[in-house]
Parts: sequence; structure tokens; C-alpha cells
Amino acid sequence: MNGALVTDLGFALVRYRVLVILAVTFSVASIWVPGFFSAGTLSLSLDRAATMGLLAVGLTVVLLAGQLDLSGGAILAVAGITAIGLQESMGQIPAAFVGVMVGVLAGGLNAFLVVVLRINSLVATLASMLFIRAVGHYITDSRPVSGIDPFFGLTVSRPIEGTITGRSLLFLVAIVVLHFWLTRTVSGRNMFAVGSNFVSATASGVRSRAYLAGSFVFSGAMAGIAGVIQSLSVNTGSPVFGESIVLTAIAAVVIGGTRLEGGRASAGGTLGGVLTLGALTTAMEFQNIPAYIQQIAAGLILLLLILLDQLVSRRNSRDVGLRSLVRRMKALSRPHQEKERKHISHEN
Amino acid sequence: MTEAMPPVPVPVASRVLAQSGLTRVRGWIGLPAGVVLVLIVGSILSDKFLSVSNLTNVLISMSIVGLIVVGMTFVFISRGLADLSVPATVGLGGILVLGLQPSLGSLVAGIVGVLAAAVAGFINGGLIGWARVNPVIATLAVGTIVLGVAQAFVGGVIVYGTDTATQDFINSRILGGVPVIVLIFLSVAALGHILLSRTTIGRYTYAVGSNPAASEASAVPVKFTRAFAFLLTGALGGFAGVILGLSLQTARPTLGIGYEFDAITAVVVGGVSLLGGVGSIPRAMSGLLFVQLLTNIMVLQGVPSPVQGIAKGAMIAGAVALDVYLRRRGGTQ
Repeated sequence: MNGALVTDLGFALVRYRVLVILAVTFSVASIWVPGFFSAGTLSLSLDRAATMGLLAVGLTVVLLAGQLDLSGGAILAVAGITAIGLQESMGQIPAAFVGVMVGVLAGGLNAFLVVVLRINSLVATLASMLFIRAVGHYITDSRPVSGIDPFFGLTVSRPIEGTITGRSLLFLVAIVVLHFWLTRTVSGRNMFAVGSNFVSATASGVRSRAYLAGSFVFSGAMAGIAGVIQSLSVNTGSPVFGESIVLTAIAAVVIGGTRLEGGRASAGGTLGGVLTLGALTTAMEFQNIPAYIQQIAAGLILLLLILLDQLVSRRNSRDVGLRSLVRRMKALSRPHQEKERKHISHEN
Repeated sequence: MTEAMPPVPVPVASRVLAQSGLTRVRGWIGLPAGVVLVLIVGSILSDKFLSVSNLTNVLISMSIVGLIVVGMTFVFISRGLADLSVPATVGLGGILVLGLQPSLGSLVAGIVGVLAAAVAGFINGGLIGWARVNPVIATLAVGTIVLGVAQAFVGGVIVYGTDTATQDFINSRILGGVPVIVLIFLSVAALGHILLSRTTIGRYTYAVGSNPAASEASAVPVKFTRAFAFLLTGALGGFAGVILGLSLQTARPTLGIGYEFDAITAVVVGGVSLLGGVGSIPRAMSGLLFVQLLTNIMVLQGVPSPVQGIAKGAMIAGAVALDVYLRRRGGTQ
């Protein structure tokens, strides 16, 4: 058989590694957890990952822009505190709205630090993370706050019509919207341009700095939504919520094939990454496997996937897209064309 | 002879020299001035501040994180972004030294702890140097795994030590009142400074950070140099964990949480650029001293700890923003 095609098929496996790893995780999970594929278990598994998934949606855009946002966990905490703490004075729905606005505002702070003051996003969001979490401790006196009506939050954590929960639905909607935004709109395409080459994007008339700022505001807003949802579901706001959630969310996004260098991301990949980590947690918790073993497994998956990513990205010139592979498999019966194609791709 | 020399270059050269001299002074004078300012403000606000015992306490509290700052400075200068696996290596060192203490004794257990953390640092370095993985994600993944392994080693519980003799020694004071822990920190800082400013690997570190492509072309071992920075940070993180574990005689897996951010704060406030190529151990140390003195003043003034956190966040952002501003204005680098 055609040797190059076999190699490329191998690379295609690596390229669609999210699907592979998701399939492996699900198989392992279905062996470990009896009835894993029952609607109830799947729904629960998705529900567990939904809050982290909402953060991951925001982070996908920030990472696509070639930046980093460590402040998501702190924003989540403060947005939740706001949404719960203001319930008494302004009602539940307005308070939730203000909570999301807090996220937008915090995202705006990050945007200001990175875009206007030109601080490296790693350090800038580290600073805002410390700052925002300290604000959370300050306004609550480091004590958790409780909401007025524990039943109100059930709308987000209760399964709708026996299927998936409100927050899972929200997460899935966010993924679909992100997918259409990134693949079907001009601003989505511009986001890719800004992430892959800031200077060229600017030179081509894209307002790169505005896009950069927008990515942080979006990430802040998603963290705000995640925080409000999280706090409503437990009817509590606490300054210690979400201490390690950002790192998990970044891991999920990176497992989904997004690169920290920017310029590459997909909503489907992020969905795959979130589901992988969600299924892993559910399966391991079901087996009573301690949290630290889960950490090792999650870390190893992350490490394996980034190494595979390095492997593929060095062969960027090879076209291992699904369409191209199908075309070339068909072309196997017509060797001449194949040779011609190979010749062309060599020149590239 | 002197009259035969061309007169033109002399004034031009001296003007350039004078300018660059001014820039150079402006480059390093800010931080020592800041430290002095903090000392003055502190002594005005509180009469306890400028006492030997208080300043010794400040030194003790900065010793553990100071060990990590030495490694983190290498990472920053070699343009390695940051090492986020520090909490894991600190936890690993602390857990191993106390976990192995009954069978190996404190000294050997400590050496094993440092070596294990160095291996973690080496894996970081290998991934970042040779496999060219982004440092943030590499150290994140390795950190998660290492901390998991350390916890699995002791079964996820808190480890208690029994070697009170070593504990007393580390917490004691020698040579007329100098705490042992401070001596350890100062000698590591001095060694780190010599390594960075007087040796080949130190020079490579600056070269790799300021221009990786040119370094590669000049036969500087770029991959090794970058890996070395992470190896060093891993080993020093483990060492910090060992010292911390021995001085407390308890170690929980969360032992090292927060040290990575504290170290990054110190290095950044010290004006060591995340873009690489610039900085030194003394600068990072004065950054650390500045942060610690400021924290100490706030503690003495009874400022609630959330406000201290707010101040710390604002300080990082302010320090880097100032650094970026001065760079753009001065046109240097």
C-alpha cells in the first residue's frame, strides 16, 4: 500500500486525537461504571463538567488569541458572591445579571492590563487573579454567603424533562454558538488571524488590539456566567470557590487541540476536552479511585496530547484533513494523479 | 600623539556614554530606592518595624520563597515564561523528606527529596527545551502528575516527622543570632548569583533569553540552557520543600501552594522581564525584599489580609506596567 498515505493516516489519528482519547475514556468508563451510557449517568457526568466547560469556552477564545487568562477562578468566585449577596436587596434575577456583569467588568480589567498597559497576559491575569480573589475575601469577610431561596437555584442544577440539566444545556449552547462564531463569521476568522500573527493581522486592517481586548472580556463574561451558575446551584457564594478550576479548564482546552501559541482552536475540540475530563472524573469517582490518581491520569493525558501535538505541528506541510485523506484513498486507484499531487505538495 | 588623533568621535562617544550611563542608573536605582522608601515609611508608621527582631522575622519569612526565586530568575531570564510546577516540587520535597525519614534519616531523605524534585524539573526542561512544549502547559501537566505521585506515595495523607533534633537545628540561630534558615537562603542566593553572573551557563542563560536564534547560530546550547533553568527551579523547589518539611515536621500535599505566585511576584517586582535576557539575582532578591517589607508593614498596621492581597495584585500590575512604560520611553531593549 501507499506508504505516505499510511503515515498520513497515522497523523490523521493524531490530529483527531480528541476523538480518539474521548473514545478511549468512554470505553474505559463504560467498563468501570456499569450503565455508564445510561441517560442518567451521562447527564450527571456532563453536569459535573458544565461549570468548568463554561470557563473553557471563554478560555478557548483567549488561547486562540495567543494569550492566557489565569483569573477565571477568582472571577467565578466574585461573580457568584455578587449574584447571591445581592439577592436580598434587588431580587434573584437582577442579582444574577449583576453577577455576570461583574465578570464582564473583570474581563475588562484584564483587557486594560494586557492591551493598554501591555503587560504580558500571564503576569497580568496572575495579578488580577490575586486582586479579584482578595476583593472576594474583602467583601465577604472570608465567610461564605447564603442566598434567600435554595429552590431558585434548582433550575440550573435540575434535569430538564429528565434529560440534561440547565447548566449542561447552557454549556452545550455556548459550544454551538462558539462553533458558529469561529467558523462562520468574519469576526471569528479575524480572531484566528490575530492569534496566528498579530502584526500581519493589524497590517491587513484587522483591529487586533480590539480583538485581543474582546477575547478577555468574553472570557471574563463566561467566568461570570460560570460563577453565577455555580453559586446558584449550591445557593452559596464563597471567596474560595474555583481555586483550581482554571488550570483544569486550560487543560481541557489544550486537550481539545488549542495551542497556547495562538491561532488554532475549535469549539468541538474544547467540547471533547471537557467531556474527556468529565468522563474521567465520573469513572474514577465511581471506582473510588482517590483524587490524586485522577490528577496523575489527567496530567498524563494532557502531556501525551501536547507531545502528539508537537509531533503533528512539525509536519504542518502535510495535508491530513479528513477530506484530503478520503480523496487520496480514492486516488489510490489512479496512481498518476497521486504522484502529481505528491509532487506539488513537495514544492510547498 | 594626542593631537594627531581624530577629534570627532570623542565628544560624540562621551555623550552617548553619558546617556547610557543615565539609563543604566535609572534601570537599577528604582528598586533600592523603593526598599529604602519602604524602610523609612515603615519606621515612621511603627516603632516596632526597624527593630532587629522584626527585620530578622522578615528575613526568615522570605527564606523559603527566596530559594524558589533564585530558580525562577533563571527561568525568566532564559525566556522560559514561568514554572508553574513549583507547588508540586515543594510538596514532593516535603513529603519525601518526612516520608523517608524513618528509614533513611533526615539527611539522606532530604537528598532523595531534592533529587526527585530535580528529576521533575528535568522532565519539565526536557519537554520545554527539546520537545518545545509551551512552558506554561508543560509545567502545569508535570506539576499535576508529580503532586499526584507524591500523594500516592504516602496515600494522600499528611505526613508527620519525628526528627526534632533537625527541626530545632533548622529553627535555631547561630553565629550570634543569625537564623540557620536565613543562612541557607543567603548561601543559595549567593551561589545562584555566581552561577548566573560568573559562569558559562549563566552567560548562556542571558544569551538564550535575549536572542534565541542568534544564540543557536553562535553554538550556544539553547535547548540545554533552557532545560537547565527548569532543572534548577525543580531542584530548588524540592530543596525549599525539604527545608520547610524539616522545620515544620509536618507535610501535606498542599504545602507548596502559592509559592509559585509569590516567587513570580518577587521576580516581576524586581524588574526581571518576562521577555527574557534582562535581570539578575540581586534584582530579584530586592524585589522579594520589597514585597516582604511591604507585607510586614501592612501586618504591623493591622491591615486585613484581603487588603494585602489587593495591594499585592496591584503591585505586580504596577511594577510590570512601569517596566513596559520605561522600556518604551527609553527605547532600550
